[in-house]
Amino acid sequence: EPMERRPLPPHDPPGHPSPPISFPAIPIKFSEKQQASHYLYVRAHGVRQGTKSTWPQKRTLFVLNVPPYCTEESLSRLLSSCGLVQSVELQEKPDLAESPKESRSKFFHPKPVPGFQVAYVVFQKPSGVSAALALKGPLLVSTESHPVKSGIHKWISDYADSVPDPEALRVEVDTFMEAYDQKIAEEEAKAKEEEGVPDEEGWVKVTRRGRRPVLPRTEAASLRVLERERRKRARKELLNFYAWQHRESKMEHLAQLRKKFEEDKQRIELLRAQRKFRPY
Amino acid sequence: MGPAPTGEQLCGAIGEPEVMEPALEGTGKEGKKASSRKRTLAEPPAKGLLQPVKLSRAELYKEPTNEELNHLRETEILFHSSLLRLQVEELLKEVRLSEKKKDRIDAFLREVNQRVVRVPSVPETELTDQAWLPAGVRVPLHQVPYAVKGCFRFLPPAQVTVVGSYLLGTCIRPDINVDVALTMPREILQDKDGLNQRYFRKRALYLAHLAHHLAQDPLFGSVCFSYTNGCHLKPSLLLRPRGKDERLVTVRLHPCPPPDFFRPCRLLPTKNNVRSAWYRGQSPAGDGSPEPPTPHYNTWVLQDTALESHLQLLSTMLGSAQGLKDGVALLKVWLRQRELDKGQGGFTGFLVSMLVVFLVSTHKIHTTMSGYQVLRSVLQFLATTDLTVNGISLCLSSDPSLPALADFHQAFSVVFLDSSGRLNLCADVTASTYHQVQYEARLSMTLLDSRADDGFQLLLMTPKPMIRAFDHVLHLHPLSRLQAACHRLKLWPELQDNGGDYVSAALGPLTTLLEQGLGTRLKLLAHSRPPVPEWGISQDPPKHKDSGSLTLGLLLRPEGLTSVLELGPEADQPEAAKFRQFWGFRSELRRFQDGAIREAVVWEAASMSQKRLIPHQVVTHLLALHTDIPETCVHYVGGPLDALIQGLKQTSSTGEEALAVAVCCYDDLSRLLWGLEGLPLTVSAVQGAHPVLRYTEVFPPTPVRPASSFYEPLQERSSLLPRLDKPCPAYVEPMTVVCHLEGSGQWPQDAEAVQRVRAAFQLRLAELLTQQHGLQCCATATHTDVLKDGFVFRIRVAYQREPQILKEVQSPEGMISLRDTPASLHLERDTRQLPLLTSALHGLQQQHPAFSGVARLAKRWVRAQLLGEDFTDESLDLVAAALFLHPEPFTPPSSPQVGFLRFLYLVSTFDWKNNPLIVNLNNELTVEEQVEIRSGFLAARTQLPVMVIVTPQDRKHSVWTQDGPSAQILQQLVVLAAEALPMLEKQLMDPRGPGDIRTVFRPPLDIYDVLIRLSPRHIPRHRQAVDSPAASFCRGLLSQPGPSSLMPVLGYDPPQLYLMQLREAFGDLALFFYDQHGGEVIGVLWKPTSFQPQPFKASSTKGRMVMSRGGELVMVPNVEAILEDFAVLGEGLVQTVEARSERWTV
Repeated sequence: EPMERRPLPPHDPPGHPSPPISFPAIPIKFSEKQQASHYLYVRAHGVRQGTKSTWPQKRTLFVLNVPPYCTEESLSRLLSSCGLVQSVELQEKPDLAESPKESRSKFFHPKPVPGFQVAYVVFQKPSGVSAALALKGPLLVSTESHPVKSGIHKWISDYADSVPDPEALRVEVDTFMEAYDQKIAEEEAKAKEEEGVPDEEGWVKVTRRGRRPVLPRTEAASLRVLERERRKRARKELLNFYAWQHRESKMEHLAQLRKKFEEDKQRIELLRAQRKFRPY
Repeated sequence: MGPAPTGEQLCGAIGEPEVMEPALEGTGKEGKKASSRKRTLAEPPAKGLLQPVKLSRAELYKEPTNEELNHLRETEILFHSSLLRLQVEELLKEVRLSEKKKDRIDAFLREVNQRVVRVPSVPETELTDQAWLPAGVRVPLHQVPYAVKGCFRFLPPAQVTVVGSYLLGTCIRPDINVDVALTMPREILQDKDGLNQRYFRKRALYLAHLAHHLAQDPLFGSVCFSYTNGCHLKPSLLLRPRGKDERLVTVRLHPCPPPDFFRPCRLLPTKNNVRSAWYRGQSPAGDGSPEPPTPHYNTWVLQDTALESHLQLLSTMLGSAQGLKDGVALLKVWLRQRELDKGQGGFTGFLVSMLVVFLVSTHKIHTTMSGYQVLRSVLQFLATTDLTVNGISLCLSSDPSLPALADFHQAFSVVFLDSSGRLNLCADVTASTYHQVQYEARLSMTLLDSRADDGFQLLLMTPKPMIRAFDHVLHLHPLSRLQAACHRLKLWPELQDNGGDYVSAALGPLTTLLEQGLGTRLKLLAHSRPPVPEWGISQDPPKHKDSGSLTLGLLLRPEGLTSVLELGPEADQPEAAKFRQFWGFRSELRRFQDGAIREAVVWEAASMSQKRLIPHQVVTHLLALHTDIPETCVHYVGGPLDALIQGLKQTSSTGEEALAVAVCCYDDLSRLLWGLEGLPLTVSAVQGAHPVLRYTEVFPPTPVRPASSFYEPLQERSSLLPRLDKPCPAYVEPMTVVCHLEGSGQWPQDAEAVQRVRAAFQLRLAELLTQQHGLQCCATATHTDVLKDGFVFRIRVAYQREPQILKEVQSPEGMISLRDTPASLHLERDTRQLPLLTSALHGLQQQHPAFSGVARLAKRWVRAQLLGEDFTDESLDLVAAALFLHPEPFTPPSSPQVGFLRFLYLVSTFDWKNNPLIVNLNNELTVEEQVEIRSGFLAARTQLPVMVIVTPQDRKHSVWTQDGPSAQILQQLVVLAAEALPMLEKQLMDPRGPGDIRTVFRPPLDIYDVLIRLSPRHIPRHRQAVDSPAASFCRGLLSQPGPSSLMPVLGYDPPQLYLMQLREAFGDLALFFYDQHGGEVIGVLWKPTSFQPQPFKASSTKGRMVMSRGGELVMVPNVEAILEDFAVLGEGLVQTVEARSERWTV
């Protein structure tokens, strides 16, 4: 049976079985010029009992399939007709825990190129969510009053933004390092304080500081020790000294040959199957 | 939408391999080949894949039987390894004739015998009266001069004998020839028939009559003439059975004189049997001077008398020893792979059989030896014995009447006498051919001694066609020009000897002339041997000029290619005149720095690529000067592919010079960095990490001189910005340089903090370089861009312990262990492996000057096929490096052309599934280590990428192919290379010129579902396109250094930015293909698997929409909207989006 190419209407036509999903679709286009549209699939954000979520219940709209040219600002503008928007967060994939709100450094963590994303839109009032769920669309991302840059325009402005500002970078590095040094100093002070003081079970932590540090507790170091031991043992052992040793090493050689022969046979079999023995 | 049920259409779209299906379409045979390859791809991974062998303990350690021990011992003694033994056995099975076929051939031979003896006789006539010949048949011989004394009559042969390899059982498939000697009755021949081609005329008439009668017989599928070993005086008649056996066997009839008819003393190499008076219609100049000897003519007569004795000798010596026969068969395969056995004057299977006999008789080969040992011994003998100087003889008699070997050396270039001591078996073999055989034998011996694992494959299974074996080739066309050359070289006696065959007569002097002229530039000169034609019995025999063209192959010596000078003797030396005579007007007197005044020839060549082509100048000059062959007849094929890697402005250079300038600038910069004062830690190492710095960047960078009016200046950050109203500015890619600092305990031990400290170093570096050296710098958190002499370098500060910090994981017990993480691997690759690779390849370029050209052509081709994004720069460079480090069975290429052909061959034949490509940089891996790597590879095959390249620095992971290509893309490359190779070789071997050399660089576009056409205005590298546009846009560069010292626009390439967005947004649904070198079109292939309707899932809604299908709700890609997205995302860049297939409609 041929398929219908029709977007799913926000409300099911009568007679159709109720869909297993509860995501209304809102058509969205870049601008008026486009004929076809993508569909935002939206739902009120809700989580199963017991799962933690930092998004405010009832006021958050969960949006799927946000096209790449749609920014947080434009989404905020498009949905503002439903009610005052408090925040918009775009993410690559659904993530219940709120993304780290602390703004990540633009120098050390540049923004990735966007693809299709999901969005968490927080309205100021729960009515915004229900209004958004009933939205008919089509939404237009770029309008005459609010143009959104794409293509050459966007790349040129991106390039201009990417030209580095060494002063800002220096300031950021300095602040970070100051905080870091402070943190390290605090940790050291704390360690010093704890030294020689027994914990609640009575254990005392002893750290050796000095010019020659003790062997670090790393995997590589322990492997090195084991290897050294093994070599020491091997040096003491006599090879082909007893008759049984001799016999065994001969047998070992034979076994190697047999194994090699089997391998070769397999290789030949494969080549023969590929007709690799036809010289021309 | 289509009429077919949806289910079926969907099936067509399932399965990844189908993505590439349209690419596999080809004509006939290729299509079939490709489809069978595709099948192997679609099979479960276990099939066609080597598995690590698992034998139980009981099986491994059971008591050996006697038989097993014997077999093992035999393998060890007689063969190199068990693998080689098995391989040789398989090969022999493949080429040997089966008993069943032998029976069919025997039956056919009996029929032939019956037919031949029943051919009716003809009454006697004068030789010149050929009116008796029936209309349907022509004499298979050029009768020049026509007048000759003597009478001819046809009588059935006195005896019909099978001679040659068929009876010995050493003939090999696929071309089975059975030689049959027909002894002509004595009545046909008269005294003095040895003179003036009379015997050959009779022989030809004999065959003509036979041919006429046999042609009417329904037994034969084809009856035609050919020349025996290409000798134009000796036709033979070829008979093939009718029906399905037509391709099974060719019976060759050779008439021969009755035993003892010719007196051997009359046919010695010093004797004349073609009189000048008859042949040239004039007596030799100055009466009384002796007639010139006719050694070749005499040999051809002698050959006919010795057919049977040779067979007898061969059967007594080889008859019962299977090992010797196997050896001969292997040698024949070896010769054939090198194209040495075919054509006139080839080193035939018969010759090697006789050579084996010789070695048996001199006790160098024992009859109990295995085929492999025989092969080895013969190669060893050939490699060490120069038959052009020290001839050998099978003759044991010390009869004083026999001529001395020296007489033969006088007459022939290669000497190998048969048991009679009078017949030179190598009479037709030229010195060049023998030297080529010797050279090949030497190469093969080194290969056998190197204990390489795949020696068999390289020795016996790899074809070495001329175009792929020689650095340059040249075609002489048309051949009729050689006739004039013979006269110019005064080769009349040779023509008389060769029966007017001017090609053979001129070949020797021609090659000697060129060898002398090319001198130190040349390692080996080889010539193609004129093919042996076949023609219908009603046609005239082909003329000498009909054998197409003469092709010479030049193997060049890279050291000799750098000099533009031929240094001659000092002007007052007597040799000076000789030098002047040899070089003609090109020889000039020159005064040298040491005060000497010498004769010298100076060739015009400024760039590397021109120097590589000096042999072209030498050849055309010498041929025109000494042989009257004009330049128009010399089609030199050495540099037609150079055009693909030539920059725009320097059409005479293939970019090596421009790369050297950039590398030089980098050296200056690294000196500045070393000497920088005021850095908290001093610089301990500066390493290049960019293709330019290893000479493999397809288009070398040129110094940037931006025109300020073209840009938007950003003064406060001293940078330039692209402008909306202008075309896209020139593309400038910064060259990455890794800068290591001395060790220090002051570094923080936290990944985030290390990043900040590095950033501080980057800032400081920029500051200091500006302060101390006045360079324009621009620092970011990860790198510092430096503008120096118009080149932009990107300096990355590296901290040695940073990868380790990223790897550290603390277990609950407090044990710190190191685990690879994506970030640590990435960092290690960029700061450790990439600089190592870059310096190793930089070294390779110093050793092999052609490396740059080969690597860049290869990369250019892959990118032109729109597959460049899937293969990292480094992986392709390593494949090119493999051609130089592991050239066997060839030698390292000395021209980009031959290197590129071998690249295509390697790509199209390498079995990536079962083998890692080992690139032994600096020869660091020992044979044992390589064996270990191979076995490790098999054990870990499923976890490794599809394409595994191993280097001494990267023995396990194949870092450069970790992220691609996928099996399908690799397969696509293999298919494209397999199509391109024969096409390109055919073009290059065409004596009339290669035609449009860019054909194989143009990608097939019909396989893509959607084509996105881009506007050239915003393609910065538009001019680099394979078909360079006649006009493009100004890219804002000045030809002279301008006033602007601002940082130019870096790495701004709109097509690349666009592709990045496309891949990010639609990577799940489609693949995007683009040629970064000025491609005007992006090819899009839908991924069929993504087009299967899926149930609704929050994680996979990207670009899809919900549809109801049979009452069920499913997700399918929203293709209409996506196609419009293509245009939206690339606004300004995209011209049109062409949807070419309706594959997505379900």
